[in-house]
Amino acid sequence: MNLADSLSSLLSAENRLTFGELVLCLDAGGSYSARHRNDEGRAVSDLADLDSVRALREMAKHDEAGEYRPLKTAPGLKSGWHTATDSPREFLQRLDAIYPGLFATWVAYDSGTFPPVPLRDTLGRQTGMYRFAGGITDGMAHRILAELCTPGCLRCITWPIDGTAPLPRVARGAGTLPLLCTEACTFAVSRARELAKEAYDLANPPAPAQG
Amino acid sequence: MSLSKPDAALLILGHGSTENPDSSQPCWDHAETIAATGQFGSVHCAFWKEEPSFRQVLPMIEEAEVYIVPNFISEGYFTRQVLPRELEISGHTTSRLGKTLHYCDPVGIHPAMTGLLTRRALEMIDESVKPEETSLIIVGHGTGLNQKSTEAIKVQVEAIAASGAPFAKVLDAYMEEAPFIADWQTLTDTPNVIVVPFFIADGLHSYQDIPVLLGIESEPTAAASQREVFRQNPHAFGDRTLWYSSAIGTDPSLAGVIVDQVAYFDEHYLA
Ligand code: SF4
Repeated sequence: MNLADSLSSLLSAENRLTFGELVLCLDAGGSYSARHRNDEGRAVSDLADLDSVRALREMAKHDEAGEYRPLKTAPGLKSGWHTATDSPREFLQRLDAIYPGLFATWVAYDSGTFPPVPLRDTLGRQTGMYRFAGGITDGMAHRILAELCTPGCLRCITWPIDGTAPLPRVARGAGTLPLLCTEACTFAVSRARELAKEAYDLANPPAPAQG
Repeated sequence: MSLSKPDAALLILGHGSTENPDSSQPCWDHAETIAATGQFGSVHCAFWKEEPSFRQVLPMIEEAEVYIVPNFISEGYFTRQVLPRELEISGHTTSRLGKTLHYCDPVGIHPAMTGLLTRRALEMIDESVKPEETSLIIVGHGTGLNQKSTEAIKVQVEAIAASGAPFAKVLDAYMEEAPFIADWQTLTDTPNVIVVPFFIADGLHSYQDIPVLLGIESEPTAAASQREVFRQNPHAFGDRTLWYSSAIGTDPSLAGVIVDQVAYFDEHYLA
């Protein structure tokens, strides 16, 4: 079954799925639609009709305050719009404009073909300016989770800090499609680099200037 | 662009940015152009600093054969190290996750870039401006960081000159190394000068830094629409006239060069 068919069959079975800040529906006429969860219950005529991948990608680019959203699963997706199409393939592409690849990630994870990557493996393979990132302690890793991931991202983390203790598998609850994080993103890697560098600089203060 | 591969996917790789929302736009634009031709079963983009990331993108692709084209201006650290590492590929063709992945050369080194730069420059000026009284400067960043990008520009400059393009002179210049773009008035002696940035996307360099170095802006301004800087052509400097182009990577014809890199792969690297 291809990805669009998987999405279509999940929606046929449940008619309504929440997906991050979205709610996805399949109506009796065979139309697939998505809108912000905050707009559930509002009349379609009150919402802007975004009928293309391009329009949705543009909508998801900035938050309500006009701030750029490079992390697509950061909370704060704009509301006030609606998108609908009869084609499951087009619908999947529209969802990918908002949450790029997140449906495919779920399907691949769920089928066991896309195992989560432990944080230490991700950090350990970095090079260039990010090569220091691998030097973080477990405490720093927990800080990244608490300060970056938990408040700043809607994904559910599936990767362990190291390879010795895999996390329990995430199962899909009825009526929901999980947004999964199967590997630390560029923001987490950058934060790891900063923390490792701060710790290194603290432990190795510059030699006092020679007078 | 006669190539037809309905059973293969095209994956365009870009750098992306966590700060500049315009950085990934050329990749998406080119992907949309190519997708509309129906030459590939599907067309995808992935980024180092945006989503989908290089690590996330493969499960999105359903075709068993994938052509991967780095939308980068030159060979270097990214195309040789970061991209292969993140995609877990090596050499020209790799089997991974049940797919055959073909790793093409970056767009910026395709021979078609020469014609694209020439055409871009000629499009900037109208018939009243004689190309033979006009110099063309291809401008790059130029630091020790990526010597390959400086090399790529020099190759293009030589190729444009050798192609019989009608310009009085074609030369390279850089923001941070000699010959400096800030010296454009002494580097050239023609009444007209066209400057084309050899970058893959518009960003701070093309919106702010280069305009200041050229003298068309007095200080870096974060204008509401930064693209305004490209709409004010030409610029008069005494008896000299300057045209300043947006980054070559934003040219719609770059979509064709991406497809050309796939054809180049088949001709040269396909086992
Ligand atoms: S590491 Fe994963 S959970 Fe944390 S911010 Fe990045 S994408 Fe979100």
